[in-house]
Amino acid sequence: MNLADLAYVRDKDLAGEASVPEARALMQAIMSEGRDPVAAASTRPKGRRRLVVGLAALVTATAVAVGIGLVGGSVTSYANAAVSIEKTDEYFSVSITDPTADRRRFEEAFRAVGLNVTVKVIPVAPSDVGMLVGPIVPEGFKWHGSIGMQGITPCSSVFCAKVWMPADFPDRVVFGVGRPAKPGEPYADSSPVDPDGEEALTGYISHGETVADVRAELKRRGLKVGYRLFWKYHENGDGGFSWFDEAVPGSRVKADWTVASTRFHSSDTVDLYVRAGKDAGPTPSPHPGPQWYDLPD
Amino acid sequence: MGADPDSRFVEIYESTYEPILGYVLRRCPHPEDAADVVAETFTTAWRRIEELPEGDEARLWLYGVARRVLANHRRGERRHEQRTAALRERLAISPALTRPPEDEISQMGRAFRDLTDDDRELLSLVAWERLDHGQIARMLGVSRNAVRIRLYRARKRFARGLARAGIDHPRAVALEGSSL
Repeated sequence: MNLADLAYVRDKDLAGEASVPEARALMQAIMSEGRDPVAAASTRPKGRRRLVVGLAALVTATAVAVGIGLVGGSVTSYANAAVSIEKTDEYFSVSITDPTADRRRFEEAFRAVGLNVTVKVIPVAPSDVGMLVGPIVPEGFKWHGSIGMQGITPCSSVFCAKVWMPADFPDRVVFGVGRPAKPGEPYADSSPVDPDGEEALTGYISHGETVADVRAELKRRGLKVGYRLFWKYHENGDGGFSWFDEAVPGSRVKADWTVASTRFHSSDTVDLYVRAGKDAGPTPSPHPGPQWYDLPD
Repeated sequence: MGADPDSRFVEIYESTYEPILGYVLRRCPHPEDAADVVAETFTTAWRRIEELPEGDEARLWLYGVARRVLANHRRGERRHEQRTAALRERLAISPALTRPPEDEISQMGRAFRDLTDDDRELLSLVAWERLDHGQIARMLGVSRNAVRIRLYRARKRFARGLARAGIDHPRAVALEGSSL
């Protein structure tokens, strides 16, 4: 037996792939982009007049604000022990250094550069610690321009990202910063589960397997099981379908129903996202539970 | 050095695309997802072309970038971009990339999958990418000695996993040339 045999594709199987039209087109697409933005995503402001004006009383001794800021106005960069944020012409470059810090440390930094946002420090899986989640606009984004976030790699901090949003956006915007969850503490859901297959287990594809089979795999790995039913329903108006999921007790789920996705619910429990079988009864009305960004601190 | 950024990028892309695609494909649950990871990896290379080391060191540098992009990808940052649509389609239908059915996966495969991500990555870099200790050290930014120790421990844990899986002679499993 050879460990190399476990690789389902070897480099030699890919000979010639670099010159296929799809690979050449990707190369051209990459080279058509500018080379500057990510490379310049340093947390230190460069080549700019460094002037701290009027904000000394507003920042703590451990925070550094840089830029042309009037009292009550915004600065071009801000750093404290939790996070540093630098404003560029097109976006804000955010580097998280201490994901376990108090949420107010993050909010003060965002506000210093002109972003009036709410930050919540949320329990997440070890692989997501430090990750910035959002921006969430609970009331829906209906404004000019766009709002978004994109991770940047390589990153010398815990997490680096570009964030952009209109400076005059008036509604509530929420970001989450992932902190390590305690053993057994449920993780904050940062995104809807993909009904076409999201996999929690390394080296195991649950999508398409029966509940009984996936349950057996979890038992083998010493993990507990939670259940969520995927319900399909007609969208009003356009005739399309949508999905929602509902947490249910194990007694509601039949062993021969099909698992669509799996996701870690906590450090010791994996939720099975199960397609409701034909004998599951009528589809209930969507009734989303409170999300992490709606909960009080 | 001396080459202009465009020429240099083309040269690096052409010489490393296949090993980087292979690295990503071997670690992506779905072949089509590999297109976006490869695209982001080379986009980073394009933007930081002045920082890329010379020669084969560029491949190691790109493995390091791909590793971080994959980690973000696993965290749920999945982006299917327009520029990768054609490549995604190619990878999704490529006969060479069809995975074996689950029941054909060996006990050795199961033991390997049950390792931690770090252990599996180290053993994979040796067995799949054929990197030596020095190359792994440069890729991960750690000392050769640290690689040697971590690899030793990873091999031990893999051997124990094999024993638990009922493979009585773990030494029969070769780690690309050298037995466990």
